[in-house]
Amino acid sequence: MQYQSQAVAKPYFIAAIGLFVGQILFGLIMGYQYVVGDFLFPAIPFNVARMVHTNLLIVWILFGFMGAAYYLIPEETETELFSPKLALLMFWVFLIAGALTIVGYLTVPYATLAKMTGNDILATMGREFLEQPLPTKVGIVIVALAFLFNISMTVLKGRKTSIALVLLLGLWGLAIFFLFSFYNPSNLVLDKYFWWWTVHLWVEGVWELILGAMLAFVLIKITGVDREVIEKWLYIIIAMTLITGIIGTGHHYFWIGTPSYWQWFGSVFSALEPIPFFMMTVFAFNMVNRRRREHPNKAATLWALGTGVMSFLGAGVWGFLHTLAPVNFYTHGTQITAAHGHMAFYGAYVMVNLTMISYAMPMLRGRSANSGPAQVMEMWSFWLMTVSIVFITLFLTAAGILQIWLQRMGTAPLGFMAAQDQIMLFYWMRELAGFVFLLGLVLYVWSFFCKKGEAQTA
Amino acid sequence: MKHRQPDDLSCEGRSRPSFFALNNSILTSNTSTSHEIHATPPGDLAIWFFIFAELLAFGIFFVAYAFARAHNVELFNESQQHLNRASGAINTLVLITSSYFMVRAVAAIKQGFSHECARWIAAAIGMGGIFLVIKLFEFHAKFSAGISLSTNTFYMFYLSLTIFHFMHVILGMVILSAVMLKAKGGGYSVENHTGVETGASYWHMVDLLWIILFPLVYVIH
Amino acid sequence: MSETFTKSMARNIFYGGAVFFFLLFLALTFDTVQTLPKRDHRENITASVVRGKHIWETRDCIGCHTILGEGAYFAPELGNVYKRRGGPFIKAWIQAQPTGVPGRRQMPQFNLTDQQLDDVVAFLKWTSEVNTNNWPPNIEG
Repeated sequence: MQYQSQAVAKPYFIAAIGLFVGQILFGLIMGYQYVVGDFLFPAIPFNVARMVHTNLLIVWILFGFMGAAYYLIPEETETELFSPKLALLMFWVFLIAGALTIVGYLTVPYATLAKMTGNDILATMGREFLEQPLPTKVGIVIVALAFLFNISMTVLKGRKTSIALVLLLGLWGLAIFFLFSFYNPSNLVLDKYFWWWTVHLWVEGVWELILGAMLAFVLIKITGVDREVIEKWLYIIIAMTLITGIIGTGHHYFWIGTPSYWQWFGSVFSALEPIPFFMMTVFAFNMVNRRRREHPNKAATLWALGTGVMSFLGAGVWGFLHTLAPVNFYTHGTQITAAHGHMAFYGAYVMVNLTMISYAMPMLRGRSANSGPAQVMEMWSFWLMTVSIVFITLFLTAAGILQIWLQRMGTAPLGFMAAQDQIMLFYWMRELAGFVFLLGLVLYVWSFFCKKGEAQTA
Repeated sequence: MKHRQPDDLSCEGRSRPSFFALNNSILTSNTSTSHEIHATPPGDLAIWFFIFAELLAFGIFFVAYAFARAHNVELFNESQQHLNRASGAINTLVLITSSYFMVRAVAAIKQGFSHECARWIAAAIGMGGIFLVIKLFEFHAKFSAGISLSTNTFYMFYLSLTIFHFMHVILGMVILSAVMLKAKGGGYSVENHTGVETGASYWHMVDLLWIILFPLVYVIH
Repeated sequence: MSETFTKSMARNIFYGGAVFFFLLFLALTFDTVQTLPKRDHRENITASVVRGKHIWETRDCIGCHTILGEGAYFAPELGNVYKRRGGPFIKAWIQAQPTGVPGRRQMPQFNLTDQQLDDVVAFLKWTSEVNTNNWPPNIEG
């Protein structure tokens, strides 16, 4: 690594992977509860396992983004990080707050947790992905502001590259839109309207800027393609992201009580949201094809290309399949949603973080790439995780189609529970695929400890 | 025609006789010295991708309008009667005129007359402003009558299409203002006036969209 | 004279496009917020409905159920459960959990008072009367 302060990224990456493992373990618990409904009840009811699963996902991805920023900003801006100490302090604050929150979810009944943590002062709990107690949410804001301060000051004093600026914009956007999580009106329709200002404008908005910047950085490093070319494409991609994604928010406003014109606007604009992901895939493959150097880190290259493909498939294609209002009328709130959600999150945000870690971790450990055997193991983990996610998505898609057919169509529709009984086979297969995913993840972690072969310093 | 001195009095690129400079600027790229016809459209290539995307977006809306109309013919015909065709027609002439002004602006800078270019752009912007004012009166009339996006499907399309277009006119005026200021400051020359062509291309697109929109929404029944 | 793509043109399109569409989104939000009262019958948001939403949140019902199609997919859609089952059934159901049926998906016992149960019903009733453009497709949710 070129700058000493880049070292603060390491704990962030380690925490990210650790929390990722936790997320998958709870995912497996939930998957099993789908087929054996009373598994771990009443100790860990489904909704508790779910909030642990989703919150761990979000927090580990945030750890990943922060680690990525601490790694790439000093290198991009050609100056040391403003305050490595602050970065380390915030690491511990975030990790401990996060751990306490998860412990709270698991050990205390949610209503009691709400009372204990001041939910009566300002009620922000009990909404999907925003289950965190008020102190945790405030803690997230503090950690985010400290992080943004640190990164922004670094950019201000250094070289202002496009990658650095785009990343900064994405991260500031992340923080600003998180503030909407504090707004929780008694009117459920208004509640839902602005809830999406956090969720959609994150994952189909500013997070894509962060993804683009991270991918662009890694591609410059591993391909050696001219910065001007890569940064120009970055701007085009994120332009298409916001041009399609901002009004594309409307594809969440079809059936929640908002005016019906959203069915038109949301359908049209969100149908175009795959475009930036398509461009990202073409961009990644193009840059690798036009590379001017043979970087020894083959694993990182594979992750980078995979991110383009899987995010296009998961976010772009699967998203498109159920984004048009006439289709969504039937698919809204079914296993189709879960299918899309899993492949989209994995393809875009899990994979871009793993791309970054794959590239940066060896550097942080003093080498330009891991040994051949370690990379091979890592590439095996790539294929195991990626292929198993594809199967999870396919199984849930099939489950969803059948669910819709049985429950929402025809003259004698089944009730929810009866329909669920009919699709159990797909849930079993999904769980099996989930275990393969875990295997891939275990291999991934193991690849960091692989002592065989020699690290590459080329 | 009186021969005027180009405003760009710098020595750069003025070593060749102006006839050859003009030929070269039209026919050749920056880097090549051959005389083949240039393969890309005028202005920055990026704007053409953008224009294509814009045409696609509006195209989809126009198709959606046609589709919705086919399902609600009576409603659309009835509601359409309440639209102000006169102001729509005047606006059409206003935009066509402003496009003509941009043609003159590009012609001016191709001969190096950057101040004249800036004046033509200002005129185009002015016509854009007139378009906006007329539209504002039209919107005010509708909103005062209690019509909104949720009144009925026709009005939803009418308002959203025209407001979307309205915003593009504003965006176009912003772009043209930037180009005009640069032209005024002598930032463009015979050899280098991509920005003017880029701005003009975008403005022509905005005009073209209205030329389709007006008959489609205001007239055809 | 033509130039191929410049980075600064791409950057301008990004900033211009982002600002343009954000402004448009704000305008649509303004219109939506203005129009909502005609669709959400907010005059019926009584103190009981407000308390009911609070109970909905503090027991994390959305962690298993969907409401207006949003939430978790483990348990039935509750946006229209008031129409599907009625108030008394909903109260009795919540009071009777967990079913204890082996292998069946289980719902916790929340030990709600009678008043709280009425509040939850009020909230679900209000929700079932929001204009959702005829969603869900049928009574099963």
